[in-house]
Amino acid sequence: MIKYMFSKEEDIPGGTASIFFGFSCLMWFIVGTGIGSFNAAKLAFPDFFTHYYALQFGHMRQVHVHTVIFGWIVGAFAASALYIVPALGNTKLWSEKLGVWNCMAWNVGLMLALSTLWFGMTSGREYSDFMWPIDLYIAFCMVTPLFINIFMSILNRRTQGIYTTNWFFAGSFFMLIIVFLVGNAPEFFHLTGLNEAYMTWWFAHNVLGLLITPVAAAITYYIIPKVTGNPLYSHRVGHLHFWSIVVFYSTPAAHHLMSSPLPEWLKSFASVEGVLILVPAVAYVCNILLTMQGRWSMFVENIEIKYTITGVLLAIPLNMQGGFQQTRAINWYVHGTGWIVAHAHLALLGFSTFAEAAAVYYGMQTMLRRKLYSLSLANFHFWMLLIGFSLYWVSMTIAGLIQGAGKIYEVPYLDIVIAEHPYMIVRWLGGTMVFLGNIVWLYNMYMTVKKGEKLEHGVLPHEVAYVR
Amino acid sequence: MSKFLPLLDGLKLSHPLKTMSDDRKVQEAQYIWEHESLGGIAENNNPLPRPVVGLLILTFITAIAWTFPLFGQRPNAAIYADYITLMHSAPVQQVMNDKTLTTSARDEKAMKMIVGALADSDSPYEFQRIQHPISMNDLRIMEPGIIELQNQHADLREYSIIGNDVALANFEGNWKTDANGNFLKGPDGKKVRERLQPWWDKGYMTSVYYFFGFCFLVIITVKRLPPITWKPDHSIAH
Repeated sequence: MIKYMFSKEEDIPGGTASIFFGFSCLMWFIVGTGIGSFNAAKLAFPDFFTHYYALQFGHMRQVHVHTVIFGWIVGAFAASALYIVPALGNTKLWSEKLGVWNCMAWNVGLMLALSTLWFGMTSGREYSDFMWPIDLYIAFCMVTPLFINIFMSILNRRTQGIYTTNWFFAGSFFMLIIVFLVGNAPEFFHLTGLNEAYMTWWFAHNVLGLLITPVAAAITYYIIPKVTGNPLYSHRVGHLHFWSIVVFYSTPAAHHLMSSPLPEWLKSFASVEGVLILVPAVAYVCNILLTMQGRWSMFVENIEIKYTITGVLLAIPLNMQGGFQQTRAINWYVHGTGWIVAHAHLALLGFSTFAEAAAVYYGMQTMLRRKLYSLSLANFHFWMLLIGFSLYWVSMTIAGLIQGAGKIYEVPYLDIVIAEHPYMIVRWLGGTMVFLGNIVWLYNMYMTVKKGEKLEHGVLPHEVAYVR
Repeated sequence: MSKFLPLLDGLKLSHPLKTMSDDRKVQEAQYIWEHESLGGIAENNNPLPRPVVGLLILTFITAIAWTFPLFGQRPNAAIYADYITLMHSAPVQQVMNDKTLTTSARDEKAMKMIVGALADSDSPYEFQRIQHPISMNDLRIMEPGIIELQNQHADLREYSIIGNDVALANFEGNWKTDANGNFLKGPDGKKVRERLQPWWDKGYMTSVYYFFGFCFLVIITVKRLPPITWKPDHSIAH
């Protein structure tokens, strides 16, 4: 990496920045899920590893959350965007050098951010836990260079049209800068009380709604038509999806605070908009699944399609839950329980991760010009991820319902802890499967670099035989 | 129409669902669509399938219907005014001063008497009382606040019970008027709002306008595209 940081732009091979981001996000995914498994073990077995203050659950939970969000998910988005954006514009990345520097700044910043968090330096606000200098670093040294590279690549495209995926990439990373700066305003300007609460959840909601969900969708808009060879079912439904994300996903932040003394009109508005999140969801799922017409056999045979479609199918329960769990009737029951933890993992480990894994598998082979080292290992990874995630999601959903019942019927806290104990063990097992699967994935990608069969010029990974 | 509303330029009132672009623009769009490859990806020009359109309409109706009846469910002080009146009645006071019972047994018995007495009388708050049952301790905590408001002749429906507090509700309802329909004004000279949830609820009206504004703008956007009857030929660029 150091070599390319100080090379001339023309001496850096195309795809270099994407490959660096690809490997770094894989490493962070292993670290993040490893910490997740460790944390889950502490909940399943409360006497496990209690002697180090720095490794207590209260420190490690935030480190896990931000490692997977900024290390894995947004890192994988960067890896994907840096090869997909130029490909869709029939051009080169605006600056590979900026991309390589961006990757270095990303990793240095993340190490700094996670270390300070680990040492207990935190704003104390969920999802915007980093202290303000770190927030500014993320906005200006991590996200802004990425946005500039994406935006300039789109401006320098050699096509007149801009494909749906690139609307989302450019729009989402621009909005992420705004979300970061506005959402952390309580820390910059010492806002307290309801203002702080609202801004905190405006930030948290929009990191999911204006970044993670739309960019994961953007990736699937690329992978499905590219790998199946089918045209996207509908350009105009893409418009409906994009604009309804902007309009309906950016407004319901108050639905995270339904029991707070926020103005009632704001909560009413947020709750209706919360259900209307189903508009982009329906448009999106319909567009992607209809694009698969005549190619459904690839769902079994092709590893990228398998990951992508699994992610898209998980978007259905994700949005059904998201739309309705925020209404007062259901929120009253599930708020503050493991149900919400299960829902968050359905979004990040389910829908989003499966889409990103497809993009990383596909992009790494394309950029490295090498065929995947082992399809069997990729399938093993897929099943470890799917079964591990499913165990996690189902067990935490059940635990959440138990906690909800306990909360409503005022069951003593210790009785609830005992009742949900088996589900905490299953959660740990599921999370550990995901962690182990990721180690296998890293090995497979490393071996692809070292021993993967070279792709002939003009051949794409999905065009070589995947069926054993 | 373009002079006044350029966005609506091209709208054919006789065919409102047709494309809003003129023939030249449609031909240009079709040429680019068929001759340009976006990284090897092509796009079709299909409309939303009709069942999905139905699903989206159902989503909007559900969004309103599912959430509408559930707002304003925070208990207001008026629900408990009768509880306090009955709490001071002789039979209930007799139970509350019965030294042969434990404190909790006295409270429980007295509250049962109050609830029983209220069950026999018609009240607009019957449903809300079932939704928000309280204990004698809760009643003792809210009693001074409610009595103070009664002494001020305040409208108890405008006050919410939030934890241990009796607080002015944060609804923004209709402007208050006197019997002649003139607006009432507060000490600062400004018009005063009712703190009751109005049937139209401001949040819902905002949502309805917002939704139809969105539909209007998306329709204008997609109606710039060639008509849905046109199917692009992808063999030209791919």
